[in-house]
Amino acid sequence: MLISRRVLLAAALSLGALQAQAAVAPQALVAPITDYKLYVLDNLEQFTEHTRAFTEAVKAGDLARAQTLYAPSRVYYERIEPIAELFADLDASIDAREDDYEHGVQDPTFTGFHRLEYGLFHERSTEGLDAYAERLMSDVNDLEQRVQGLTFPPEAVVGGAAALMEEVAATKVSGEEDRYSHTDLWDFQGNLDGSKKIFELVKPLVEQDDPAFVARIESNFAALDDTLANYHLSQGDASKGFQTYDKVSERDRRALVGPVTVLAEELSTLRGMLGLD
Amino acid sequence: MSKHDTSSQGCPFAGLDRRRFLQGLGAAGAGIAAAGLSGGALASQPARAAEVADAPTSATTGQAYPWHGAHQQGITTPRPAVGMLVAFDVLARDRAGLEQLLRILSERIDFLTRGGSYEQRDPRYPPVDSGILGPTIDPDGLTITLSVGASLFDERFGLAEVKPRHLERMTAFPNDALDAARCHGDISLQFCANSEGTTIHALRDIIKNTPGLLMVRWKQEGSVPVMAPRPDGQTESARNFLGFRDGTANPPADDRTLMQQLVWVGRNNAEPAWAHNGSYQAVRLIRNFVERWDRTPLQEQEAIFGRRRDSGSPMHGGVEHDLPQYAGDPDGSVTPLDSHIRLANPRTHGSERNLILRRPFNYSNGVEANGQLDMGLLFIAYQADLQAGFITVQQRLDGEPLEEYIKPVGGGYFFTLPGVQAGDFLGSGMLAAADAIREA
Repeated sequence: MLISRRVLLAAALSLGALQAQAAVAPQALVAPITDYKLYVLDNLEQFTEHTRAFTEAVKAGDLARAQTLYAPSRVYYERIEPIAELFADLDASIDAREDDYEHGVQDPTFTGFHRLEYGLFHERSTEGLDAYAERLMSDVNDLEQRVQGLTFPPEAVVGGAAALMEEVAATKVSGEEDRYSHTDLWDFQGNLDGSKKIFELVKPLVEQDDPAFVARIESNFAALDDTLANYHLSQGDASKGFQTYDKVSERDRRALVGPVTVLAEELSTLRGMLGLD
Repeated sequence: MSKHDTSSQGCPFAGLDRRRFLQGLGAAGAGIAAAGLSGGALASQPARAAEVADAPTSATTGQAYPWHGAHQQGITTPRPAVGMLVAFDVLARDRAGLEQLLRILSERIDFLTRGGSYEQRDPRYPPVDSGILGPTIDPDGLTITLSVGASLFDERFGLAEVKPRHLERMTAFPNDALDAARCHGDISLQFCANSEGTTIHALRDIIKNTPGLLMVRWKQEGSVPVMAPRPDGQTESARNFLGFRDGTANPPADDRTLMQQLVWVGRNNAEPAWAHNGSYQAVRLIRNFVERWDRTPLQEQEAIFGRRRDSGSPMHGGVEHDLPQYAGDPDGSVTPLDSHIRLANPRTHGSERNLILRRPFNYSNGVEANGQLDMGLLFIAYQADLQAGFITVQQRLDGEPLEEYIKPVGGGYFFTLPGVQAGDFLGSGMLAAADAIREA
């Protein structure tokens, strides 16, 4: 009798294996996923509106207004990045950084927010940016269309909470995301908001089984909000914006790294806890 | 001993024809063999010929240094082929967090240096281990040595009153070009093992187990060239990337009296009691300008160092471990007065107090913008008194001819914690001493 590979594998896994969390019934995820889609569409609508105002300012040659609108427009994108990244081509053309291109800033295929950032904050001019502004607007409209028609895969949504913290760990903590405008804290808050939203939506499904896990995550989210609050332009109101990244002290940078890393680790167990593949 | 002995000579199945093997087993055997091929858990597989990508094998992966003891391993332990020095910032915010960190580090060091298997999780979770060394960890001669920097004794953890006397933030010597990104740290971990997979696996394990408590500040990996064992059993100091032996004049590690006097902090050092059986660790990242060195006449290289290159002997000849004879050479016509070894250790009365225990590795990083190689020395030295040891020796070396070829770019001063017995954790004595002062 041939011993099937599946049986062998299952036998090997059960030896000393952690008892898997009982998978939540698929219908338990329906409401959170639906709510999340509404959250994403709402942010995308705001994103499109703000990007329109931003790109129009660029085309009108209004440097100061364009600079002012740059960071607040990005926040809506940074919140919903796990979904945007499902469309890799659009994520690249909207939000790629020059490091992804062999010829860097000069590369003709480098487009999007950071190409505009280079023009507005480094060259300090709207000269030659019209085509990039139009391309960005068209990409953002395209993104909104595609997301409206998308069925949100549960693993992508749940995994998105951790993915957002990986984003922060990789590019926001070092200040390399917005290296010309130094508006990284806006993006950081956006990623943080997006991660918190996903967690809030699935929290009822995990807090019975592991309240300590929930408490740890919430206290780390709070620690990040508190550290970021040191840099509010208007104390207590993140929506009014942040000081530039170069103002963040070394001590606060380290104070951000700890909770970000812990959240990335903890949230990476979320799919397993919910029995998702 | 060669690091990577292939095992194929001893394999009983070498060259066996796989198909004949299966036919020989018959129908029942085919089932077992098939299951063995697919599941892997039960039957042994017929041998196949060695493949290009097969993992090299080594006879020393089982080598283990017990972690518990009066002193940490990695100081007087024989220095293996591979090492790594990693400096960290501590992210813990208070004494409780620091204690948690020290306990976790102690547990991980205990496991990694002993080896063993680890928890297999449901595959829907991230695995607990990177898997680099497979499902079972072999110790491979691993030592992990924990040391603390002066910055750990600042206002964060209430340790200011118990700081070791000489521990300070490293300051630049005249030839230094220190890169802030490669200097200092709240703690350092020195990883040493027979092979690089082991040190890297250990680093990733520690990082995985300390999120929110530690952040890597800088790291430098290194190695020493290995050699075949000599038929006469004599050993030789490993060479550095300038081609010269490094560590010839080390005080012998098996001389306990000398180690107690020169390396281990003890009653005579006027240090806090908790620091006894610890040591000072001086780390320097020293770039070597290797292309220029390789264009320098051999006799000039030897005059710069004060030794013969190939034999490692003193200038007057003999073998590596013969002592230089300075008494009969007061004007330096045999061994120049400004040669490296003579400046570092003039062997005059009293200079024996300034001996240090060198335990370095050589590093090879990238390429500079000018196309020249970034290689050098990961210098690590241990001493009971940082001032009498490394600092005094380096001050004697300031201005030496070798400086044309070297440039220190990083490193730091740390205090290597005393060892611990089973059930205890590294740094417990330090924390207890600070608590006692606070509660007094």
